[in-house]
Amino acid sequence: MTKEKLVDAIANMKDQEALQIARQMLEAGTDPRVLLEAGQEAMVIVGERYERKEYYLPELVVAGEMLKEIAEMVKPKLRGEALAETTPRGKVVIGTVEGDIHDIGKDIVAFMLEVNNYQVFNLGVDVPAAKFVEAIREHKPEIVGMSGFLTLAFDQMRLTVEAIKEAGLRDKVKIMIGGAPMDEDAAKYIGADAYGPDAAAAVKLANQWTGGN
Amino acid sequence: MTNQDQIKQNQAMDDNTPSETTVHIVFEPVGRRGEVPASVSLLEAARRLGVELTSICGGVGICGRCKVRVVSGQVSELTVPEREALSQQELEQNFRLACMAYPLSNCQISVPSESLSTPMRTQVEGMEEAETAIAPPVRTLAVALDPPSLDRPLADAENLLQVVNRSCDTPADSIDLGVLQELPHQLRAWDWRCQAHIRGNEIVAVTPVGAPPLGLAVDLGSTKIAGYLVDLYSGHMLAAQGITNPQTSYGEDIVSRITYAERNSGGAHRLQQVVVEGINQLIGELCAKAGTDRQHILEVVIVGNTAMHHLLLRLPTHQLARSPFIPAVVSDLDIRARDIGLAVAPGAHLYIPPNIAGYVGADHVAVLIATAQAWSESTTLVIDIGTNTEISLITPEGAITSLSCASGPAFEGYHIKYGVRATTGAIERVQITPDRVFYKTIDDATPVGICGSGILDAVAQLRLAGVLGENGTFQRDSHPHLHRVDNQWEFILAERNEYVITVTQQDVREIQLAKAAIQTGIEVLLRENRVSADQIAKVLLAGAFGSYIDIGNAVAIGMLPALPLERFSQIGNAAGVGARQLLLSEPLRKTAQALRSRVHFIELAPYPGFGKIFARNCRLSPH
Repeated sequence: MTKEKLVDAIANMKDQEALQIARQMLEAGTDPRVLLEAGQEAMVIVGERYERKEYYLPELVVAGEMLKEIAEMVKPKLRGEALAETTPRGKVVIGTVEGDIHDIGKDIVAFMLEVNNYQVFNLGVDVPAAKFVEAIREHKPEIVGMSGFLTLAFDQMRLTVEAIKEAGLRDKVKIMIGGAPMDEDAAKYIGADAYGPDAAAAVKLANQWTGGN
Repeated sequence: MTNQDQIKQNQAMDDNTPSETTVHIVFEPVGRRGEVPASVSLLEAARRLGVELTSICGGVGICGRCKVRVVSGQVSELTVPEREALSQQELEQNFRLACMAYPLSNCQISVPSESLSTPMRTQVEGMEEAETAIAPPVRTLAVALDPPSLDRPLADAENLLQVVNRSCDTPADSIDLGVLQELPHQLRAWDWRCQAHIRGNEIVAVTPVGAPPLGLAVDLGSTKIAGYLVDLYSGHMLAAQGITNPQTSYGEDIVSRITYAERNSGGAHRLQQVVVEGINQLIGELCAKAGTDRQHILEVVIVGNTAMHHLLLRLPTHQLARSPFIPAVVSDLDIRARDIGLAVAPGAHLYIPPNIAGYVGADHVAVLIATAQAWSESTTLVIDIGTNTEISLITPEGAITSLSCASGPAFEGYHIKYGVRATTGAIERVQITPDRVFYKTIDDATPVGICGSGILDAVAQLRLAGVLGENGTFQRDSHPHLHRVDNQWEFILAERNEYVITVTQQDVREIQLAKAAIQTGIEVLLRENRVSADQIAKVLLAGAFGSYIDIGNAVAIGMLPALPLERFSQIGNAAGVGARQLLLSEPLRKTAQALRSRVHFIELAPYPGFGKIFARNCRLSPH
C-alpha cells in the first residue's frame, strides 16, 4: 500500500513527498529492501515516460537524486544483513570518446541501462582509448558503449576499437556506438557491433547481447 | 555525402582527384549551368556553379535542407538518409538531397526556393557610438613634390620620402612594394601632388589629394558578416552593410565547417577563399554606397570567434575542435591585408584583436571594449547570444570571468520545424491567451516560419498560458490550438489554406536545451564569483538576437535572471562597435591586449556538476 504511494511519488516527481513517505516507512519498520524495490519500479515508469516524451532531462536528474537519497536513508538500516542484491543482467562500460565532451545523450543511455538492471561503469567524457581498455580489464563487462556528438569522433572511435583489439579483448565484449552523426555505416567503419539511435535501442541491443529479449 | 562516403574519403584521403568524366548540370530556376566532375555530389556541383544551397549539417545527409528535384538525367541510387528525409510524395516527384545524389549523366536540376540560402536581416546598426579618442595607426600627409629633371634625376620613391621627411616629425624610411609598383604613374597622373599614408616608418598607401583616408571594420560572424566603412580622421561611419557568410553553404555551424576543412583536401583553403571573396564583395558594396574607392582603405580590423578567426587566416583547426580546444594563437595579430587576399590599399594592414580561448574569440574582446564604459564599477553581465553564446561577468573591482555556452542554432531558426532566419515573413513576436494566438511577422508579410525571437516568445507564452508544463511537456486539452500530429503534440501558431506554422514538442525541447545552456553559463559565472543574481546591476545583451528578444519572456522561462527590467539593456551589435573603435584607436589595441590577459576563462562542460545543473535548468521557470 505505502510502497505504491512511494512509487507514485517518485514517478510523479514529488521529491519532498517521496522522501517523507520513505522516512515514515522506515520508522514504521518496513523492510528497507521494499523501499529500494519501490525506487526501481518508479525508475521504470520514469524511463517509459521519457520514451513517450512526457518527461525530459530534468525528470531524469530529479528521479536519480531521489533514488540516491532514499538509498542513503536505507543504508544504515540494512546493518549487517546482506542486501538481497538482484544480480545485474550484465555489465556495461560506457563513455564519450577522446576529443569530445558531450555527455547528456550518453548519460541518458547509462540511466536507461541502469533502470533495466545493468551495472553501468560510466567513464565520463573525453575518454582516451587506453582508459576504455583499462576499464574493460578491470570490470570485465559484456558490453562497451561509445558516444560521440562530433563527426570528428568517427576516427577516435575506430582507434578505440583497435586498441581494444590490440589488448586482446575484442572478442570479450560487444561494442555499441551512439551520438547524433552516427549510423550503421559509421558502426561498420569504426568496427563496432551495432549502432543505436536512442536510449531505448541501446537497451534492446544490450538485452539481445545478454541473451534476452 | 553519406557517412559511407566520408569513410571512403577518410581511407582515400582525397576526394578532389580530378575525374576523367565530367557532366553538364543545369540548375533552374536560378539559371546556373556548367561542367562538373561526375564524382562530386549535386551539392558540391551547386557550390561550384555558384548556387548557394542551404546545408546545415555540412553535407552528411542529416538536415534534409538541400532538397532538389531531378527534372531530367540520371543520378545515383536513393540512399537511406534520403528515404528518411523525404516524404513519399517528394520521392515520387524525384526529389533528392543534393548532398546524397551524384550525377551519372547530364542533368537538369530544379532548386526549390526554400533550399536556397536566403539573404537575411543582418544587424549593422550598433549601440550609440561611445566616445573614442581618434588615434589611428596611419598618419596622412598631403605633399607636393618637385618633378625630377636631368639636373635632378631623383628616383620617385626617394623624391617622395624626402618631401615626407621634410614635413613630418616622425621619419618614414621605406615604401611598401605594392605602393612602389603604382607610384611612378600615379605621381605623374596627379601632377606630383598626393597624400602619403604612413604607418610606423613605412608608406603604406598613396592617394590623390582630397580622398578621405578610410578604414574598414568587419564583424565576421559564423552566419553573418557586417562591414563598416569609417573615415579614419573624423571617425564618421560612411556606410554599413551586412551579408550572409558564404561559408554557410559548407556547413551552418563551426564544427561542420571544421569537419569540411579536415575531410576535403584543399577544404581549408576553399573556406578561406570564399570568406575573403565575401568580404571583398562587401567592400565593393560599401564603397559603392559611400561613393569611394577600395584603394582608399588604409587599415582593416576584423573580429570573429576563434574558429572564424582560424578559418579566415587558414590556421589549423584540428586541435581547436577537440578537447582541450587549443587555439593556434591568442595574441593580437597585425599583418598585411593582402596576405589573406583582401583587396584594399596595397600596403594596408589587417589588425585582429586577441582571442580569449577556443570558444571565446576576438569578437567578444571587441564587445568588452565597446561596453567598457558601461560596466566600469558595477557588477555587470555581458551576454552575446548566438550559436555559441559568450558571457562575461565583471565585478566592481574589474575582475572579468568569461565562458562560452553551446546554446546551439535554435535561436537562429535551425532544428525548429518551421524555423527560419530573421527574414521577411518570419514570425518575430507571439502572444498567447487561454484561447487565442496573436503574432507579428517581420515587415508584416505573410508568415513563412518562426525566427528566434518568435520561438522564444512562443515557448514562454505557452508556458505562461499553462499549455506547457514546467518540464516543457504539452498539457493535453489545454488550448484549442493544440493538436496531436504524427504522435507528437503540435501547437498551431498560424494557419491558412496555403500554410500552417506550428510549434512542436521537439521544438520546445530544442529551446529548453538552448536556454538551459545560457542559464547554466550565467549560474556558473555567479557561483565562481560568489555573486548572487540580485547583485547584478546591469545586464548588457549584445548581438542581433539579444537585441530583438522580449526580455520579459526570456526571464519567464529562466534564460535570463529575474531582475527588474530596467537593469537590462539591448545594445545591438557591440562587436561591430568595438571593431570600429579598435580601427580608430591604436592605444585601444593595447587596452584590448591587456584586457585579454585579465580575463579568467572557464571551460563550462567539464565544470563540476555541469550536467545536473544543466538538466535542472531545462525547466521552464524563472530563476
